[in-house]
Order: sequence, then structure tokens, then C-alpha cells
Amino acid sequence: MSTDYGDADTFFGVRLDRFERLYEAVAGDYKATFGLVTVTLFVLAAIFAPELAPYDPMAQEYAIMQAPSLSSAHPLGTDSFGRDLLSRMMYGARVSLGVSLGAVTIGAVVGVSLGVVAGYFGGWVDDALMRFVDVLWAFPWLLVAIMLVAIFGQGVWNVIAAIAFAYIDDFARLARGEVLSIREEEFVLAAKNIGLGDLGIMTEEVLPNAVAPLIVQFTVLIARAILAESTLSFLGIGVKPTTPTWGALLGQGRSLIGQAWWISIVPGVAIVITVLGINLFGDALRDAFDVRGEGGSP
Amino acid sequence: MGVKRYVAKRTLQAIGVVYVVATAVFVAVRSVPGDPARLVLGGNAEPDELAAVRAELGLDQPIHVQYYRWMADLARGDLGDSIYTGQSVGASIANAAEPTLSIGLVGITIAILIAIPAGIVSATRRDRWEDYVATGVAFLGISMPSFWIGIVLLLTVGTAVPAIPSFGYASISEGVVPWLSHVILPAAAVGLPYAGIITRMTRSSMLEVLSEDYMQTARAKGLPPRLVLFKHGLQNALMPVVTVAGILFALLLGGIVAVEMVFGVQGFGRLLIRSIERQDFPIVQGSVIVVSIIFVFMNLFVDLLYMSINPKIKYGGGA
Repeated sequence: MSTDYGDADTFFGVRLDRFERLYEAVAGDYKATFGLVTVTLFVLAAIFAPELAPYDPMAQEYAIMQAPSLSSAHPLGTDSFGRDLLSRMMYGARVSLGVSLGAVTIGAVVGVSLGVVAGYFGGWVDDALMRFVDVLWAFPWLLVAIMLVAIFGQGVWNVIAAIAFAYIDDFARLARGEVLSIREEEFVLAAKNIGLGDLGIMTEEVLPNAVAPLIVQFTVLIARAILAESTLSFLGIGVKPTTPTWGALLGQGRSLIGQAWWISIVPGVAIVITVLGINLFGDALRDAFDVRGEGGSP
Repeated sequence: MGVKRYVAKRTLQAIGVVYVVATAVFVAVRSVPGDPARLVLGGNAEPDELAAVRAELGLDQPIHVQYYRWMADLARGDLGDSIYTGQSVGASIANAAEPTLSIGLVGITIAILIAIPAGIVSATRRDRWEDYVATGVAFLGISMPSFWIGIVLLLTVGTAVPAIPSFGYASISEGVVPWLSHVILPAAAVGLPYAGIITRMTRSSMLEVLSEDYMQTARAKGLPPRLVLFKHGLQNALMPVVTVAGILFALLLGGIVAVEMVFGVQGFGRLLIRSIERQDFPIVQGSVIVVSIIFVFMNLFVDLLYMSINPKIKYGGGA
């Protein structure tokens, strides 16, 4: 990192004293602690699903197929095919969390690149790129997803693409706004004067200084992406129907709601706890980084 | 820049955005791997059937002719016909619109009725139990998928209150009571996450306004606190809330589509999902265009509305 921040150390361009503030914000706030702990637990359950899951998520028990039930052998019950719901939820977490992370990452990379370039160069480049972003924004994400599925069929990458597509404009606008406020700072002008190229200035001087609000945005959108993925899977236009995801489990439970309510309730609870955890953590991040935004605590 | 010029410029921009969306949809549908006609008819269709469908879809024409026709039809408001039912896409969407609009409008109403008071209480009773309850519930609201709220409502309210039907839809022409009793649960499912967002926005916007100088002045003048709060405070606090209404429309639509499936409502969502299952491309592409037109022009409208109620906003210039 070539930028000199005085005596503060940096980590990916964020000053370390900000991380200390972040630590204080999380440790001192039970909501943020709850958020971090639950999300960590769910992520661990997803990563170690093959080791932790009590059953094979695809294994069907014909004896209980007709009467899906809660029992000590299956604490969260079984689905209509006699498959253990807890195991399916653990494997489902991999898809649900993985898809969300992938989608928001792609949205962030594309959106931030557009926004930084637009804000840095200004003029017609800015105009052209932001008009493009306006067009992206005008596509309702759900219909983009539906079109992708209608055209290319179901699949993980189509779902990731559809969700990522919806978030490009959020990241582009945010990054552009940050860059506009940083562009005229002295250290950027200094970097220009010593002959650093545009790409170098953008990646080494401008971007690191815009990273805090982007991290907050990233966190908030992960939460929204989990909801979006679950909606698509619930509608049967998400990842392939045979793959367990939280939304798909919910969707399959719908037809059995009279006999086996837990199939519809349990995956929903997992979604709510995870999304709530991420939102709470995101709120703590927002406070720690002192970022203003939607619903941020002033 | 004058007001008229600004309105004209923004309207042209909106039309431009819709034009590009329509072009993108045209390209997307024509980039279907394989033959759309075969997709429509299935694997073992006769060649003459395939040719007939291709002609019907206009796929036998050169690409620039297809594009020209597509745009000309669109400009006339003709979105083509459903492959499956033969009904025009416009009529299909219009027929499915009533339940969806009903759920959406009742949902927004529920959201506003809950959120604005909750946000005000939360801001004026900051860091007291009322605030904790309101922000806590709002957080929970934005963390739940609408369709799941729908399922929970169905299992609880739906089974406990026999007067509320948990399935289907009754048109408003059958009377307000049957209509509302069918719409209330799906609308609540759609409205609650929406309420969470608006509560949070009202709260932060209100807190900001409460610390402004003119509020201090109004209080110092000896105006009653209630008048200060509602006349000076609320008016200013609600403005930023109004601006996001358009953005929230997209969120609302996603919620309604899924909630319609939970409650077996034959609305726009049902139409969309069925059209995918049937590979009914004209409906899918028509829906994308109709929804983006609504989306773009609603935002334009909100923008202009915002400008007219807030004279401080400069038209033209920056973003």
C-alpha cells in the first residue's frame, strides 16, 4: 500500500484503528455479537456439512415416507421423501450461503469497477457508464431471473447471475459517490504528480479509501441475496429442484403444510436467523465505520 | 435549467431506458440456445409445425426485420400473443393484474399504517423500551422472506380465524368484505418486510430532523410540542421516505409473486411461473417490459413529486 496514513497501520486500505473500533463495536454490543456468532455457526455448519450431518441428505427412509414426522432420530423431522431435514438443511446452507456470497461478490466486482472508473474519469465516461447502470437498475431482478431460467434453464450460475445483476447498480452508485469525494484529495493529486498511472491511482489510492462503505454494502446485500435466493428456489426457478436449498425445502413443504408444518417452518427459521444475524452485524459495521445509509443508526 | 426542460429531459431519459430494456429482451430471447419453436412444441414436432410456429413468432424473418417489427409493435402497445392460450400478452397480464395490485396496495397500506407511527415513536422515545421494541421488530421484519411470513400467517391466523379464507382470491366486484378477507393475509405477508424498511427509514430521518435548528426554534417560540413534531418534524422527515417508494416497488413485486403461490392466488406471479413452465416466451418477455415500464415511470413520477414538494432541490446539474 503506497498511501501514507501517518502512523496508522492499514489492512486492505482500512486503517487498523477502525478495526479496533469494529472490535469494540461488536464486543460491546450484544446484537452484533449475536449476529456474528449465529452467522459463524451457520457458516461452519455449511462448511462441515459432510462431517456434521447425521444422515445422507439424499437418503430416503421408506418406512417414514408416508408420514413425515418429528422424532428423536430426526430432531427436525423428515420431508415427504423420508429424508432427514436437519441434514438437508446443512447441505442446503452450502448452496444458499454459497450462491449469495458468489452473487454479491460478482455484483461488487463489476459494480465497483464501473463506479470507480465512472467517478474517476468523469465527463462522458461517467455519463455513459451511469446511463448503463440506470438501464441495469430498470430490470426487475426477479424477472431477469425468470428470463434467464426461461432461456437457459435452471442452474446455480443462472441464479448467481440473476442476483448479481440486481446488485451491480447498488455498488456502482456507491463506489462512484465515494470516488467523487476522494478524487480531489491531496494524496490523489500528489500521486498524479509523481506520475502514477490512472489504474495505479484507482486501485492503490482511491479504492482503499472507499472500502469501508463498500464492506457495509456488501454485508447488507449478502442478507438480501439470501432472501432473493430463497424466493427463487421457493418458486421453483432457483438451483435445480433436487438440490436442497432452504428456499426449495420450504417450497416442497408447502404441499404438506396440513400434515407436516415443520417442513415449511424450520428452513424459514434458519433463513430468518441467518439474515437477522447478518443484518445486525452489518448495522454494527455501519456504526463502527461511521457510514451513513439506509436505516443507519445516527 | 427550467422545470419544463428538466421534466422533458427526464421523461426522454426514461423512454430511452425502456427502449434499451426492450432491445436487451429482444437480444436475450433470440439468444436462446437451439430453436425456440422446438422448445415451444417439444422434441418430436413435425417440420411443418415448427415452420408454422417460427412464422408466428416472426423468427423466419431476417433479424433486422424482426427487430423493427418488435419495436413497431411495442410502440403500438402490442406485446404479441401467448403461445399457449393465444390470448394477447397485454390482455393476459391485465387479467392477472387485479389480485396482484390488490395485494400490493393493501400491503403498502398495512406497511405505512404500521411503519410511520412506529418510526415516529421509535425516534421520539429513543433508547427507551418503545424504541427497542420498534427497531427489534423492524429488524426481524426485514430479515424474513414474505412467502415465509405468508406460511406462518396461514398456519396461525388462517387456521385460528375461520372467517379468513386461506386460499384463492375474490374479486372486488364480489363485494369489499370477501375481497378484503381474501387479500388481508397475503397483503400482510408482503407488507411486513416493507414496514420494517419504512420504520427504520422514518426513525433515522426523524432523528435527523429532530436535531435540526428549525425544530429548536419552533420549540423555543413556545409552539406546542405536538404541533412542532407533526407540522415541522414529520413533514420534513417523510420526504426521504417518499423517494425510496419506487425502489421498494421492485422488492414488493418479488414478494407478491411468491406470496401468490402460498395462497393460491391466480395473479401476475402465477401467470409468470406458469409461463415459464410452459415456455411461453411472449408472456415472459412482455412481463419484463411491462414491469420495467411501470418501474421506470413510477420512479420518474416519485422524482418529480419530490421535486415539487421540496423547492430546495435543484433540477439539472448533478446526479
